[in-house]
Amino acid sequence: MNITINGASHNLPDNSNLLLVDLLRDHLHLTGTHVGCDTSQCGGCTVQMNGTAIKSCTILAMQAQDCEITTIEGISKDGLHPVQEAFSVEHGLQCGFCTPGMIISTMQLLKDHPNPTDEQIIEGLSGNICRCTGYVNIIAAVKSAAKKIQGI
Amino acid sequence: MHETHSTITKDQPFLRKEDLRLITGHGKFSADWYYEGMLHAYMIRSPYAHANIISTDFSDALSAPGVVKVITFADIEAANFKGIPTGTTAQNPDGSSQIVAVMPVLAKDKVLFVGQPIAMVIADTLENANNAAELAQIDYDMLDAVIDYPSATAPGASQLHPIAAQNRSIHYQNGDHAAVDLAFSKAKYISHMNVKSQRLIGNPMEPRAVVANYDKNLDLVQIHLPTQGILGMHAFLSHITGLNADKIQILTEDVGGSFGIRSGAYSESALAILATKLLNRPIKWVGSRSEIILSDWHGRALELNGSIAFDEQQHILAIRFADQIDLGAYNCYFGSFIGTRNISITMGGVYKVPALAMRSELYYTNSVPVSAYRGAGRPDIAYAIERLIDHAASEHGFDKVALRKKNFIQKEDFPYKNAVGTTIDSGDFIRVMDRALELSHYHTFETRRAESAKNGKLRGLGLATFIESSAAGNVAKDQVTGNFTAQGELHLFGVTGSSGQGHETSFTQIAATMLGMPNEKIKYFAGLPNKNLIGNGTGGSRTLYGAGSAVKNLCTQIIAMSKSHASSALGIGEADLSFTDGSWHNLDHSKQITLSALLVPLLTQADQLASFNLTGEAQSGSTYPNGCHIAEIEVDPLTGQTQIISYTAVDDTGVVISPKLVEGQIHGGVVQGIGQAFYERTVYDTSGQLLTGSFMDYALPKIGCITNFICDHIEVPTTSNLLGSKGVGESGCSGSLPAFANAMVDALRIKGITSIDMPYTPARVWQLINEV
Repeated sequence: MNITINGASHNLPDNSNLLLVDLLRDHLHLTGTHVGCDTSQCGGCTVQMNGTAIKSCTILAMQAQDCEITTIEGISKDGLHPVQEAFSVEHGLQCGFCTPGMIISTMQLLKDHPNPTDEQIIEGLSGNICRCTGYVNIIAAVKSAAKKIQGI
Repeated sequence: MHETHSTITKDQPFLRKEDLRLITGHGKFSADWYYEGMLHAYMIRSPYAHANIISTDFSDALSAPGVVKVITFADIEAANFKGIPTGTTAQNPDGSSQIVAVMPVLAKDKVLFVGQPIAMVIADTLENANNAAELAQIDYDMLDAVIDYPSATAPGASQLHPIAAQNRSIHYQNGDHAAVDLAFSKAKYISHMNVKSQRLIGNPMEPRAVVANYDKNLDLVQIHLPTQGILGMHAFLSHITGLNADKIQILTEDVGGSFGIRSGAYSESALAILATKLLNRPIKWVGSRSEIILSDWHGRALELNGSIAFDEQQHILAIRFADQIDLGAYNCYFGSFIGTRNISITMGGVYKVPALAMRSELYYTNSVPVSAYRGAGRPDIAYAIERLIDHAASEHGFDKVALRKKNFIQKEDFPYKNAVGTTIDSGDFIRVMDRALELSHYHTFETRRAESAKNGKLRGLGLATFIESSAAGNVAKDQVTGNFTAQGELHLFGVTGSSGQGHETSFTQIAATMLGMPNEKIKYFAGLPNKNLIGNGTGGSRTLYGAGSAVKNLCTQIIAMSKSHASSALGIGEADLSFTDGSWHNLDHSKQITLSALLVPLLTQADQLASFNLTGEAQSGSTYPNGCHIAEIEVDPLTGQTQIISYTAVDDTGVVISPKLVEGQIHGGVVQGIGQAFYERTVYDTSGQLLTGSFMDYALPKIGCITNFICDHIEVPTTSNLLGSKGVGESGCSGSLPAFANAMVDALRIKGITSIDMPYTPARVWQLINEV
């Protein structure tokens, strides 16, 4: 089974019941992808599959065969992505456990809605739970990143 | 006003020093540790709330593929492990102590709650451990479960512990009951209010995990686990395992939230220590969310019944409480302090109350033990007092603002000793409240209410003026040690580690401000085992002023140490030197040198450099953070849905060191209050099964629950620590519970509703409106 992860091709043994998130964490030690629940609610495990945000706890590794997976460790090759920077500047993280998932979901959200309304932000991040920040600064981070990406 | 320093520079675009690793996926949480040859553990837990264990047979599990060991009570007994430390014990004024029921690391012949650990299966893979656990044969004889106050304390109720008749741990009392009775007998106005602060599950986003690794040559167990402080955790693990302190080394890097429930030690950590020693292999256990919900200590679970008495001029004469406190199945960690000390020491709130008295009954139920969760009794009592005063105002036709202001402890009354003996050092409640009224546009609220009414909506405004006691700490003082590297960096080492608070940012900021050094040249390292420091972990909202004061003391020593060097460098007598903004200078500033420049020639001389290896320390007392929070909400009576229109939080947290981080703490605390007020509920059925066992059933607040949040501060410094800062971590909960409760009642009063229990789910609100 071949999966491209953060640009590198991996030949991996077939394992019919291995979740993608467990492949990333336990086999490749890409521990920036987190597991915060067991019911696909928290979004801590969000990664990109062929450029689209997915919850890696909810698909099998073999479903990612011949796909390109990008994790938080791989989202920016040069420096930081504006979304990463915005989460820091706007204090959109505290403990940081939900943050990788939040960042990847935000990248998807800004791809879908480059200049999102509050409602679009709320919908776009409805699958990610944060217990620390109260979300107010996460919304601010999304707006700040949107401006930066658009060069405003 | 103090100076604030942003840590953002052009070179370093980060608000916090912690951020770079966390936004790039390079944080290291406990489950992120991997070792060669690591084995995986899976817990077998009780499926029943109350049962005798008749027999156990793990032979099939043991012979299953990949299984290395099943640890049972027999192993715990053979290793002479003690039970889970209870932490705190409540005592009555007459000296009588409570009954203490210690939770065993693993159940022996009886289980008392669903989720109670029975055995740990260890295998080469988690999958094999999990599969083998299915083969364990455990015969139970089920017993009746008690799940609430009436069922636990009824005559003939099923009893959890032989030592606790009718499942009562203590009838606790505080205050002067005779004086309160007398005051009530003379009162002109009396009001009563019952509030239930429902059982909550803290749910930090990082599930609890432990990785333990035994080094046989050193006879040392290295352990990674989420904790709120390595000293406390270390003592607890030593207590359980009987291992000397130097045989356990805790190495914790990032912690994904704590909220009070990660101070104490849990069974899995003790078991991982035993397993790694028995098997001489690294052991990993990572809780699933469902397991965390079943086994992390729960929070709140209090019912408070308050009464308030006023004289003819609307002055409060007395407040009385009679409370029922659910401890869960055992006394765990902080459980007993919540419904005793913590709900009584500030039971007069921000008011001058001549007579205070309370009683509480602490009782056991067949449920997860209860311990500290963000506030640990303080939000609960603030909720009760502020409901009581709001209800009294409404019942007797008093203006809710004027009534509060009239009864406030006034600025000139500080230090004020309340009627249960707590001395509150400082505050300016009128200024705090006036600011909140202004920012929330309180005085034009009725216009907005009328507008909502035109659209068929019920708008409500709830205000709460609260105070809480943040902790003095379990350890007498906090120490922070520092040394300069040859590259001129100042490295600070302390006991307390962050679980989101931002220690690395705030402590270095204190040092940078005092020493006039660039922030990027200062680093904070938490909990390194070889530093032999004492100090407290996070808890009671105290770390910033506790360890932060030690940083300040350390910097004072560094400045003093550098004086003779400055004298030589500038050729000026020490008596004529002053230190300002990072520089030594003479009176007219004609000669000056920065501390950083002064250090440059010393950096190459090891002995000179070593003379700057100093330990700062400080003793910090309790502080009394307070605030006025105002919530404005709108209920749709057709659906029962509530929208939070705005939230205004004005807090006196003393001197603010890192404004953005303080604001973050308020946001987070208030939204955990939103969780309790609108979403979160822990439901046990009558057989003691937990019905809210996953994020599918236990609703946490999500993005969009609040968007209009106004934060402001009135800084009234405290003298109980070197920084003048007060606690902030728990204020958001203490302010938001009563603010939302008062707002809901304010909105629904027109429908004849005077009280409503949390959470205000659409179903509950709709039902209440339609029942009346």
